[in-house]
Amino acid sequence: MRRELLDAVAPPLYGAVDFLVILAPALAVKLASDRGGMGDTEGLDLVAASAVLGAVHAFVAGARLLSEERTAIRRADMWIAAVDALVVLTLAATILPVVVLWGFADEHASLADRGYPVVVLWAGVQAVAIVLAETTGRVVFWWLEPHPRSRFRIRGHLVGLRSPWRHVERPDTTRG
Amino acid sequence: MLNRRQFLAAAGGAIGATASGTLLAGHVWPLLNKEDLIPGRAPEATLEAQAWPSSPDRLRFAAVGDNGSGGRQAMAVAERMAETYAQQPFGLVALLGDICYYGNFEDRYEDVFRRPMAPLLDAGVGFELAIGNHDAALRHSDDGIEEIEAELRLLGTPSTYYSTTHGPVDFFYLDSSVPGVFGPDSSTQWEWLDDTLASSTSQWKVVALHHPLYSSGRHSSTVGARERLEPILARHHVDLVLAGHDHNYERTHPQQGVTYVVSGGGCKTTAVGQSRFTAAAASVLQFVLVDIDGDRLTASCVAVDGAIVDRFELRAREGR
Repeated sequence: MRRELLDAVAPPLYGAVDFLVILAPALAVKLASDRGGMGDTEGLDLVAASAVLGAVHAFVAGARLLSEERTAIRRADMWIAAVDALVVLTLAATILPVVVLWGFADEHASLADRGYPVVVLWAGVQAVAIVLAETTGRVVFWWLEPHPRSRFRIRGHLVGLRSPWRHVERPDTTRG
Repeated sequence: MLNRRQFLAAAGGAIGATASGTLLAGHVWPLLNKEDLIPGRAPEATLEAQAWPSSPDRLRFAAVGDNGSGGRQAMAVAERMAETYAQQPFGLVALLGDICYYGNFEDRYEDVFRRPMAPLLDAGVGFELAIGNHDAALRHSDDGIEEIEAELRLLGTPSTYYSTTHGPVDFFYLDSSVPGVFGPDSSTQWEWLDDTLASSTSQWKVVALHHPLYSSGRHSSTVGARERLEPILARHHVDLVLAGHDHNYERTHPQQGVTYVVSGGGCKTTAVGQSRFTAAAASVLQFVLVDIDGDRLTASCVAVDGAIVDRFELRAREGR
C-alpha cells in the first residue's frame, strides 16, 4: 500500500520540484528588479519563458519517473537516476544563464540593442540545461539497470556488451 | 547494499548536490539577486538641447553612481534621467564612479555609456567623472592604468582628481581608489584639495567621490578616507558630498556642517540600514537631481519609477 502510494505521488511531486528549479532563477531576477522599483511587468518575460519550459519539462520528468517505476528492475536505480538528473538541472538551469550573461555581456548587449529579445537567449540556455538533465536521468538509469549480455564481433573479436534493447525479465515478486 | 555502479552514481549525485548547493547559495544566487545581468534596450527618447538653468546664481545638475552594467536596470535609470530632463532640464551629470561592469570600458563604452546616455549626450548634457573602485580595480597593473586612461580620455576628464566650476558651484572630483586614498602619493591629492578649497570663491562647494565617507550600506563608511578628508571638508565649509559605491540611496544629517549623500543605485540595489547619522535611506534604483538657486539648494532622490524618495534643502553655509 505504501509503495503504491509512493508510486502515485512521486512523479507529480518530482515534476513539481523540477518546475520550481527551472523557474527559480527567473523569479530571483524578477524579485531583484521589483526590489529596485522597476515596473510590475519588468522581468515577467523571463518568468513566463521559464514557466513554460518548466511546465513542459515537469510533465516529461514526471512521465520519465512513472515509466521507470514500471520498468525498473531495482527501484534504487530509478531514485539514484532521478536525483542525479535533478542535481544537474539545479546546477545547469541556474549557472548556465549566469555564466552566459556574465561572460558574454558585450555580445548580449549588442544583440539586445539590435532588437533581439533577451527572453530567447534565456529560454535557449535553460533549454540546454533541461536537455543535459534529461539526458543524465535517462543515461544514468540505463547504465545502472542490469541488461543481458549480448555478444558482438568487432574486428574478429567477440565483445560482451549490455544491450539496452533487450531487458531481462522483471522478477516475479508475486510468488512467495 | 548498493552495487559498484549504484554507489558511483549515488556518490556523484551526493557530491554534485553538495557542490551545487554551496556554489548556488554562496555565489550564484547572490549574483542573480544583486547584479544587473539582463541586457537592456537603450532609451529611445529624443531630447531637445535646452537652455538649462545655469547662470552665476543658478544651476541644475544630476548625480548618479554605479550605473555601468548596460543592463535593463541601468537602461531604466537612464530613461528616467532622460524623462526628468524633459521636465526639468539639467546640463551636467556627475558620475560617481563604477561606470563599467562586466568588462573593459573601452570595449563596453557603447553599451554602458553611449547608448544609455545617448538622449542626454545628444541634448548637450555634460558628464564629469569621479573614478570608482571597479574603474580602477587593477590600478597597480598595466591593465588598470589603461582602463583609467581610457575612461578619462573617452569622457574628456582632465585627470583622476580635478575641479570644475558651473554657475555658483565649485565641484571637486576626487580619486578615492585605494592608491588615491591610501597610496604612497595620496597626500598629494589631499594637499591639492586643501589648497583648491581654500582658494574657492564660489557660493557652493560640492565634492564628488566614489567611496562614501558615511554609509549604512553593504560596504559601510570608508573610515580611513573619512579620517583624512573630513577635517578638510569641515574646515572649508563644503556644502554637499556626493558618493556612490553602495548600491542604494542615503542622506546623512549634517556632519560638522557637511551633508553626505550616497547615490549608488544607478543599476543595482543592495540593502541599506539606518545609522545614527542617517536622515533618509532607501534601497532603490535612483539618481539625484540637484537644483541650486541663489543661496538655496533643493535636491531630490528620483527613483526609477519617477517617485521622489527623498527631498531636502540646504542653505549656503555662512562663514566663508
